[in-house]
Amino acid sequence: MKPRPYWNPYFAGVMLGLVLLATFLVAAQGLGASAFPKRLIALWAADVDPEWTAHNAALGSYVAGGAFPLRNWIFVEMIGVILGGFIGALSAGRFKVAVEKGPRISVRGRLLYALAGGTIMGFAAGLARGCTSGQALSGGATLATGSWLFMLMVFAGGYAVAWFVRRQWV
Amino acid sequence: MSAIFPLAFASEEVSLLTAVVLGILFGFTLERAGFGNARKLAGQFYLHDMTVFKVMFTAILVAMVGIYGFAAVGWLDLSLLWVNPTFLWSQLVGGFLLGVGFIVSGLCPGTAAVSAASGRLDALVAFAGIFLGTFLFAVTVDVFPWLERLYHAGSLGTSLLQDVFGIPAPLLAALVVLGAGAAFLGAEWVERRMAGKYAAVENAPTVRPRLKLAVPGALALLALGATFAPAPPRAQASPAFERIAAGDVARRIIAHEPGLLVLDVRPADAAAAPGLPGAQQAALDSSAVPLLSGLAAGQLVVVYDAAGKLPALPAGWPVQPRYAVLDGGIAAWRSEVLTPATPRDPSLAERQRVAEQNQVAAYFSGATVAAPAAAAPPPAAAGGGGAKKKKAGGC
Repeated sequence: MKPRPYWNPYFAGVMLGLVLLATFLVAAQGLGASAFPKRLIALWAADVDPEWTAHNAALGSYVAGGAFPLRNWIFVEMIGVILGGFIGALSAGRFKVAVEKGPRISVRGRLLYALAGGTIMGFAAGLARGCTSGQALSGGATLATGSWLFMLMVFAGGYAVAWFVRRQWV
Repeated sequence: MSAIFPLAFASEEVSLLTAVVLGILFGFTLERAGFGNARKLAGQFYLHDMTVFKVMFTAILVAMVGIYGFAAVGWLDLSLLWVNPTFLWSQLVGGFLLGVGFIVSGLCPGTAAVSAASGRLDALVAFAGIFLGTFLFAVTVDVFPWLERLYHAGSLGTSLLQDVFGIPAPLLAALVVLGAGAAFLGAEWVERRMAGKYAAVENAPTVRPRLKLAVPGALALLALGATFAPAPPRAQASPAFERIAAGDVARRIIAHEPGLLVLDVRPADAAAAPGLPGAQQAALDSSAVPLLSGLAAGQLVVVYDAAGKLPALPAGWPVQPRYAVLDGGIAAWRSEVLTPATPRDPSLAERQRVAEQNQVAAYFSGATVAAPAAAAPPPAAAGGGGAKKKKAGGC
């Protein structure tokens, strides 16, 4: 069966914008993603070494005052994202266990790139206090200065390195 | 002005339920936009598929016009919204690195989750990498002092572009919309030039040309309309205060936690009534800044008033300490700390809890009775003596 086509990007943008606006009206904050790994790491770290976790600059605030790090709006929202992505892919006939890659790279090569890129992103989202969802999209909509700088730098970083990894994609 | 939004929920469970629903809509929309496909996302950086830019900017425009439009008509209280604080250097460096990770993995954290949920194994591996990188940052920020300095460098607190440029928010919004409209036209032009250069990603939509201009056009009209609307109230310098329970404050005071600063921000006449031991009187404005400057990053400052209903951080307060509002204010302090507990059930744990609370209550009723007696006459005579600043020592 041929999968359902993707939405027109401007239509998809309007829908995404409405979801983001609704989030601000309901939850007084934007959408996020990288808090999901951060809070799970905080939970695990607090189990292994509570003292270290409480004083850690990146994780401390998630466990402050004995808080349970997963009891959090963004964390629960990300569970919804995974569900929504699954429903979307399934209903569009696009759910497929596969490796997405360009024609000129091996599966193993692609997975190594994915692991390296993911590790860089996890580090970067820690340093920048958010990722494309929490900083660029949500912070951008509130016109936060740092979020716009972040967004410009994401594009700058992507274009700066694209040529070197082109074998993976095109 | 009492705005309708943001909604206040009676219970956290209801709020978390909205998180599931909005999360599902978020994930579904990302999937339909094509963001579950790393090749499509990567197309942004080889210029033949600018979907990432188009979707992201349209979404930002819609949400921005919505937020500032709702604020302009008084439906939304901007000062209650969480606005990402600006840390110039960590956001510049972190943003660049995230862009590098984006093109190397073909995904970003949110889209990696959607792609993995679509069955893509590369996204699952990228997501594992994100966990690894998150852990790596948490460890290295502890080990390398230069990294921790970078993490906090260039802190501007809540900084909004309209304040940086010194123009009204609706005007800036209108300019952003117009600029984005021009950028959309540019993106379409680039895509046409690059068409056929690389193999197209499957199921690309056929874009009806008229729709291309409809969205930015409509938004531009909205934004221009908003320019003439009454200016929305200035967003207060949030980060909003975090909350701290009375019992937690009590434990910290008993433990003589080093560096703990307790601020009594009740109006001067109300502050004559007993407060927390060791609290310093302060006003919620720039007159308190001398008390707060020089505090270390992350140092705890507990702030309390009568009922624990405090707005966002006052303008001008330094952002490096950690501010926490006493949940429930002085009323909660009286009922949760100063009042001896009565057991709710006969269990051993409950009896231990009661014993602990009674010890705490005894500790503080001693302290608070002693402190005002030394500093001020009993409340009945306070009118004649005037409101004295209470600076009970010891902590």
